[in-house]
Amino acid sequence: MTMSDVFGREDRLSAWLDGALDPAQAAAFDRDLAADPEFARQAAQWRANDLRIATALSAATERPMPAATLDLLATPAANDNPRRRVWFVAGLGAIAATLVLVFVQRPVAQDPLSLALDRTPSLADAVLPGGRHIVPALTAQARDGRWCREYREGGAVALACRGGNGVWHDEARGAGTAPEASAEIAVASGADDAVLDPAFRRLGTGDAVDAATEARLIAGHWGK
Amino acid sequence: MAGHVVGHGGAGAGDVRADMLAALPRLRRFCEGLCRKAGDGDELMQATVERALARSHQFVPGTRVDSWLFRIAQNMFIDDRRRDRRRGTHVPVDEMITLAGDDGRDVVEHRSELAMVYRALDQLPADQRAAFLLVAVEGQSYREAAEILDIPQGTVMSRLARARARIATILDAPDAISDSGVQ
Repeated sequence: MTMSDVFGREDRLSAWLDGALDPAQAAAFDRDLAADPEFARQAAQWRANDLRIATALSAATERPMPAATLDLLATPAANDNPRRRVWFVAGLGAIAATLVLVFVQRPVAQDPLSLALDRTPSLADAVLPGGRHIVPALTAQARDGRWCREYREGGAVALACRGGNGVWHDEARGAGTAPEASAEIAVASGADDAVLDPAFRRLGTGDAVDAATEARLIAGHWGK
Repeated sequence: MAGHVVGHGGAGAGDVRADMLAALPRLRRFCEGLCRKAGDGDELMQATVERALARSHQFVPGTRVDSWLFRIAQNMFIDDRRRDRRRGTHVPVDEMITLAGDDGRDVVEHRSELAMVYRALDQLPADQRAAFLLVAVEGQSYREAAEILDIPQGTVMSRLARARARIATILDAPDAISDSGVQ
């Protein structure tokens, strides 16, 4: 076997792993693998290595984004309108709730809570005037089309939905049991929010959206 | 494969921003893989977003925003490496691993596995590393990776094969890793 044969074989192995062979090539390659256990072992090893590396690096997609980067991508309208201006202060603290957004009260069209729920990704800690902290936990759409967000405030959990005027109204509120900065809180899974279940059922909310969808909603002012 | 295409005709600046925001987690992972260090990866991500916004008029509607961002990030990374070479700077891989991550507890929890992955990526030539990250981690097709890297598809395939062969050697025999690394 020549070196070019070796490289050609490994090139084809890579293409097979990446689904880049056409059906005839893939079938021929499958036969090669079946006939050569050592080559099949190599294929399994390469696939496992790919998965191992992708899994390790994927932690980067789960950490809260730097506020400076999110601020860059806020729509120009949001940045340019002083009535809706938001000051971002990033801080890294506990394992999960590491992003701190500080909302300074100005002459705003929205109340501070609505502004925070409009602009704060799940897992981030929003600081409102008066030292009030909220941490959005998940986002879901109600049957009537409104967007709703579960959030934690101290030991309480609440579910608020966004009205057409951009104001978020609490639909339910109760005592929660998980710590505010719990690593259990996630975009697609709330903390201990059983107290909110009746409200979720009443509103007919769908599944919680994923982080990318939520980011698009925030960037797009919730469809406004 | 995740990836959002901004449609022809009606894509405004706000759409591009929203699509950039949606692509941000994957851009961050790509940047971190290129840099093998979380802090540097975030700096590269930030610089990529800044450049993309400054050049948003160059984005071609109907193409993928994530591919466009990957291309910008890769080009900026190459430019940075060239500058570093001129300055003669080199950060040992062990230092990269020690400094990795913004949260020390997170680093401790994932240190062993992430350190090994960083080491494996660090041993790859940059061109192989980029091809590997784009295809094996980000799920880009060979055609998309070829466009991002501005190389033929066949070159993407051979870079991937060489990268995977090298990675297998490293992950199977981690003690055999060279201290020199490959920038």
